[in-house]
Amino acid sequence: MRLIIRETPPSVGDYIAHYICRRINDFAPTAEKPFVLGLPTGSSPIPTYKALIKLVKDGKLSFKHVVTFNMDEYVGLPKDHPESYHTFMFREFFSHVDIPPAQVHILNGNAIDLIAECNSYEEKIKKYGGIELFLGGIGEDGHIAFNEPGSSLASRTRIKTLAYDTILANARFFNNDISAVPHMALTVGVATVLDSREIVVVVTGQRKALALSKAIEGGVNHLWTLSALQLHPWALIVVDEDATAELRVKTVKYFKSIERVQDEVEATQRELKAKGNVPVPQVGSME
Amino acid sequence: MSSQNGLVCFTNCFLPQEDGSLLEKDLWIDERRGVILDAQKTFFSRRERPDKVIDLGGNILSPGLIDIQINGAYGFDFSVFDGDDDVYQSNLKDVAERIVETGVTSFVPTLITQERSVYPKILRLLRPFATVTSATVLGWHAEGPFIDMAKRGAHAPSFLVSAPEGIKSFEELYGAENLADSEDWLMSTGSESGVRIITAAPEVPGVMGTVEELTKRGVIFSIGHSIATSDIAIAAVQHGARLITHLFNAMPQLHHRDPSIIALYTGDVMSPIALTPMKPNKSSITGLKSPVGSEALDEVETPPQTPIFKAHSGKNSTLKNTQSIAGFSLDSSEFTRPFYEMIVDGVHSHPNSVRLAYSSYPEGCILITDAMKILDPNLRDGVHEWRDGKRFVKEGDKLYLEGTDTLAGSVVTLDKCVRNFTRFTGCTLAESIKCATYNPAKCLGIENQKGTLRSGADADLVVFDAQGVVQSTWVKGKRVWTR
Repeated sequence: MRLIIRETPPSVGDYIAHYICRRINDFAPTAEKPFVLGLPTGSSPIPTYKALIKLVKDGKLSFKHVVTFNMDEYVGLPKDHPESYHTFMFREFFSHVDIPPAQVHILNGNAIDLIAECNSYEEKIKKYGGIELFLGGIGEDGHIAFNEPGSSLASRTRIKTLAYDTILANARFFNNDISAVPHMALTVGVATVLDSREIVVVVTGQRKALALSKAIEGGVNHLWTLSALQLHPWALIVVDEDATAELRVKTVKYFKSIERVQDEVEATQRELKAKGNVPVPQVGSME
Repeated sequence: MSSQNGLVCFTNCFLPQEDGSLLEKDLWIDERRGVILDAQKTFFSRRERPDKVIDLGGNILSPGLIDIQINGAYGFDFSVFDGDDDVYQSNLKDVAERIVETGVTSFVPTLITQERSVYPKILRLLRPFATVTSATVLGWHAEGPFIDMAKRGAHAPSFLVSAPEGIKSFEELYGAENLADSEDWLMSTGSESGVRIITAAPEVPGVMGTVEELTKRGVIFSIGHSIATSDIAIAAVQHGARLITHLFNAMPQLHHRDPSIIALYTGDVMSPIALTPMKPNKSSITGLKSPVGSEALDEVETPPQTPIFKAHSGKNSTLKNTQSIAGFSLDSSEFTRPFYEMIVDGVHSHPNSVRLAYSSYPEGCILITDAMKILDPNLRDGVHEWRDGKRFVKEGDKLYLEGTDTLAGSVVTLDKCVRNFTRFTGCTLAESIKCATYNPAKCLGIENQKGTLRSGADADLVVFDAQGVVQSTWVKGKRVWTR
């Protein structure tokens, strides 16, 4: 696992956007071989989306051959409800980039057979050859997607009851009416996320600091589902200074040194590639 | 260059919202069907996104402007009929096609008081219509002849009438078929009636009795050219009157003891108290001369006055008097504040008066031009031929009879009114735009189709720069004019 620390949320967003941009462009996706990207909702990824939109508008990146899978969606909320994740994704991202609508996948929380919906979602991901890069965020309790504390680390896409904490936290989006907050969601599982070839997680703000420390300094634990990232060979967490508040100094220093090494190795690999020697398709993680 | 899949995305633009705010957001339209799209639904359900993207460079993309009171433009007077249907219709079409340069994409041609035989001839020609490049004619607005002699403005006194037989008198004058009930009149089939607005004075005998019936038929009863007392005006609103014609003009000045028509927009719900009325000012309504000049402005003959309705004399309550006049009593039924029109040319109402009205009821404010036939933004200042051998002098938005200082009417364009309005009231451009788009549409009950950027509405659009200057105009999804 790598941890990248940047000063502020916008610079975190810039970093991730440029990282994803390079990954997609290196991948050189085509209609036959699209880049498959997993996407989150929530406030932390917004700076990343903003930076990605700018890259597209500047002509440095295209989503023409990118296929996306979103992490989760509420059950029973109309697609056009202002708080639905369909609405969020359209408003914050899809309406601004050149992605063809047919290449966008979001779980349908209004499906008659919710279980079948979840199973076919997994099938679809498999059909595209799995997710190349899953971008994620976390909740204050360390949940990734809607995999609340206590979720199986081997879970797949399924129906999930929202934790009372999450319902309370979301009530502000529903006129503070707890009964209006959906109590269920469809979400990809922890194992679905772990199956992707690469995972990038954005963590910003002091309120997420404890979750970050639990996830990378504690053991693998289903009460902090992000900690499952420790089992993944190619994971990257990008955080701002505030989010490091609960980390030990040693941890922070260690990860800062990794960043330098990674940069050097990647630079060498790019040079080799330019000369025609392509030893490995992807560099991977240098820890 | 049109879009391959027929969808167009306007981007890098600000959209005026129905609450008067301005939102930086894209707008998707279907240029083939000429409607505004629900972008999100188009994306997720139709699985399409626009093939064509138009960058508006940070300008404002507004619904097209709606003028609900306009007497003519480009040399054509809607009230003049020379006996040839084709000529009239071709002139009307010409106005509808040219007026888009002022940002107007819908208007209600307005007839000022005419000799009664003229009405059936003209009104049947004023059914809703539009060509592919023209503004939409929404129907007609008849200003008069059921108006008060004392506030007749430039309306010919000899043509003014009362309504002794109530609605029947209206039907006889305008033609029964022209007052027919028509549902969903914007779905133009070419056969329905075009009646939209009738400006009348509720104190004219027989008129009050028509308000409810007209309202039931979907006609907007607009109070204007009237000296109605407060209780009569309130009763008219309670019976359905929905609009006040060119506020401040052709009505008594605001008097604190009996604020008459002007204060209606403040939302009177109190039962008015009995008044000791002033005596009718006879001199003000005698010795009328043939009118010249603006019908809304020309009030020199009828100086400021408090309402002079005779029925107020005596010691009975105003309530009973109202009953005896109009056959209707004030009751406690719901009072919905009426919309009010304002001519924001800086001449017909002082900027401070405009601000006074707007600050007390912004949701009811509707900007109109009330323009005469000489309206033409390309017309240079100077001396021009008018009619009957008379000539007028145009000085900016002011129009004088040659050799006099008599104002001859309004020549302001609606886009200029929008700009003036922000200066006069200090409101934002988006709030000002709302008064020329959403508010008039709401008054007409067509806010699902016009004056809005809701999905499903007609893609009649205007691009304004940050100063409120029209850059381009779009009708049913097609650009019809550009600077």
